[in-house]
Amino acid sequence: MLLIRCPYCQEERPEIEFSYAGEAHIARPLNPDDLSDESWAEYLFIRSNRRGLHYERWLHAHGCAQFFNALRDTVSDKFETTYKIGEARPQVKK
Amino acid sequence: MSYKLKSDQGVILADLLAGQVTLMADQLRYSLRIKSQDRTAFTKACGIDLPNKIGQTIIQNDRMVFCVGPDEYILIDNPNLRETLKQKFEQLADKFVFSTTDISHRNIGFKLSGKQAARMINIGCPLDLSLETFPVGKCTRSVFESAEILIFRNKEDEFQLETWRSFAPYMARYFEKFCLENESL
Ligand SMILES: [Zn+2]
Repeated sequence: MLLIRCPYCQEERPEIEFSYAGEAHIARPLNPDDLSDESWAEYLFIRSNRRGLHYERWLHAHGCAQFFNALRDTVSDKFETTYKIGEARPQVKK
Repeated sequence: MSYKLKSDQGVILADLLAGQVTLMADQLRYSLRIKSQDRTAFTKACGIDLPNKIGQTIIQNDRMVFCVGPDEYILIDNPNLRETLKQKFEQLADKFVFSTTDISHRNIGFKLSGKQAARMINIGCPLDLSLETFPVGKCTRSVFESAEILIFRNKEDEFQLETWRSFAPYMARYFEKFCLENESL
């Protein structure tokens, strides 16, 4: 069983309580009307699909019900860190 | 054994050596959402103490207030106070931005006691229920099999488990089965 640290509960909790919510730090365009169809589609659908360290959103659905961000390695499934929404993304250790 | 939950409230579902499972009597339940900056003022205005940290519980007489999220609380109280609380909340409505939802009939409470109580929860819930990580007085939302639950540890060997009414017959059977299979423990 994978344990994920929720930055709001400040605890390691079983994976089954969480749900994945896609890539993190993708800001919604402030004026969608100004966008071309192509750039709107890019905002909606195009993701980095990274192999390795990936910034992503998680929801502690069956816990505190908060969204938070995580830095996870998509190859090893190891969570490097998790942090609250609104906090700056932690730098990747080389 | 049939589970007509409304009429069975307050009865013991299983009482075996391994543990005792009781379906709790009717309760008043509220889901409260209050921003953390209004917490103290809210308590001052209506006398309901709110815990300030996720996982904490405050108990006053029949009243239990669980903090399940940064601004989310579950209040369980004596059903006789239904009107009193409703009026209190209405009076506060123009003072703060908050939300109160009566969920009395959405939830059902189980009381699990006995030295196997934690094990009984762990058949369907992967939380670490050792006393070090889950001390007396702690509460949290979690899952039991696929049903969302609220767990509260009353005592070292007693838990209160809240779930949605529709999940209750399923969980009651699970507990009953556990008790039967572990009768010799
Ligand atoms: Zn959490």
